[in-house]
Amino acid sequence: MHTGSSRIAGSTLGMDEAELIRAAQAGDHDAFERLVRQYDQNVLRLAMNLLRSPEDAYDIYQEAFLRVFRNINSFRFDCSFHTWLYRIVTNLCLDHLRKKKVRRTESAVVETPDGPMDRLDSVPEMRADGDPQRTLLSRELRGRISEALSGMTARERMVFEMRHYQGMRLRAIGDVLGTTEEAAKNCLFRATQKMRSALGDFV
Amino acid sequence: MNCETAKQQLVLFVYGELSFDEEELMEQHLDGCAGCSAERARLESLQEVLSQGESEVPAGLLARCRRDLAVQVAAAHAAPRRSLSLAALWRDWVVNPPLWLRPVGAVAMLALGFFAARIVPGDSPALARMGVAQDPAPVFSRVRLVNPNDSGGVRVQYEEVRQREMSGALQDDHIRRLLLAAAVDQTDPGLRVESIDLLKQHCSDDEVRRALMNALRTDSNSGVRLKALEGLKPYARDPETRKVLAQVLLVDDNPGVRTQAIDMLVQNKEPEMAGVLQELLPNEQNGYVRSRIQKALNEMKASAGTF
Repeated sequence: MHTGSSRIAGSTLGMDEAELIRAAQAGDHDAFERLVRQYDQNVLRLAMNLLRSPEDAYDIYQEAFLRVFRNINSFRFDCSFHTWLYRIVTNLCLDHLRKKKVRRTESAVVETPDGPMDRLDSVPEMRADGDPQRTLLSRELRGRISEALSGMTARERMVFEMRHYQGMRLRAIGDVLGTTEEAAKNCLFRATQKMRSALGDFV
Repeated sequence: MNCETAKQQLVLFVYGELSFDEEELMEQHLDGCAGCSAERARLESLQEVLSQGESEVPAGLLARCRRDLAVQVAAAHAAPRRSLSLAALWRDWVVNPPLWLRPVGAVAMLALGFFAARIVPGDSPALARMGVAQDPAPVFSRVRLVNPNDSGGVRVQYEEVRQREMSGALQDDHIRRLLLAAAVDQTDPGLRVESIDLLKQHCSDDEVRRALMNALRTDSNSGVRLKALEGLKPYARDPETRKVLAQVLLVDDNPGVRTQAIDMLVQNKEPEMAGVLQELLPNEQNGYVRSRIQKALNEMKASAGTF
């Protein structure tokens, strides 16, 4: 809506990522915003897949990018910005998952002003195409996937999400999680086994 | 490759995570082994099923995340500034700026001087009356041409601007014009906040009121917009002001600005506002603003839904 921001947006348009980072380090908010927009859809999707709750994904998004904003000056280009950002995001998600494990009894049903509602119901049926049978199927499928995810360790879940839904290579995942490619391979193997047994009759 | 190794590596194979050589060995094994081929097909179908079960990001969540992040970033950036008084700011950053800031300060003064020079004519009798020096030393804003000559000298072509200073009462027309110019200076939100803060005392002036409405509608800085709102408070019944407030309510990305706009619009409890608020309520993402809308509706004895 603001003429000011659109005017400045033009000046950062041709910048590559390194230039955007340097401009953001120099206090250019517009460059920071452009940097955020290169990654934020995937960050939100990752948080949403990992935590399976829009409210939790919202919290992770805000906290992660505020941390990036506050610490952008400590980014020294010794790894890719993507790796640096994902380290922040995955650490926040790991913390969140650990805390959640402590209060595992928490129900998927949340109280809303319109009465109790299942968290999964807030997820839109984008792929269902209005077909009631498919809708039912995909709801059941998501329920099973959620169940399988909660049976994984936080690290297995992390590796699985980043490999399967974000399409990251295992080597890059190892970098993000501060572990070896070999350990990431093992996590992916175990996660897939668990997913398979949970989804047995769907496959 | 035997079946045991193949089963260990099939997951990596379907994800394309095997090396070229490992992949070759796997392909050879799969060609001759129906059991492992079936296992491969199952893993591939698992991948497909999983893709169907990916949780979608709810519509509007990304937009809400972006909007609230922008508010938080602006707040994080503005926070240290708020704790300083104007006098302290002036003393520490303008009268006696730290050494590292002096070149920046010089550029800022150049910019302001350039603006002022366009508004106040150089031979203004007002300047003379106020005791303003008529011919301060010129400073250059940009060198256009550098041309060395044969005799070892150089010809430099440059543009110059002059720094000027003016003091006077707020009612003074020249001062007001300078403040109106500073209120739209895109380079410095701090300058805009201070200028709007001073101008709002003279909201009865049509031009000032228009400048405030303009700042409220278009300024990129929420601090400036909040100051403009404060100034417009006495005009909450003015139709033109109400039109801008309604627009703000619909499009402003700052919850603080939206909340204040609601308070101003409902203070006279016109019944037609209930309809507007009922429309807004389902789309308002911010919890605090929602509660304010609900409170306003309660006070107006209207229901939260439109039915």
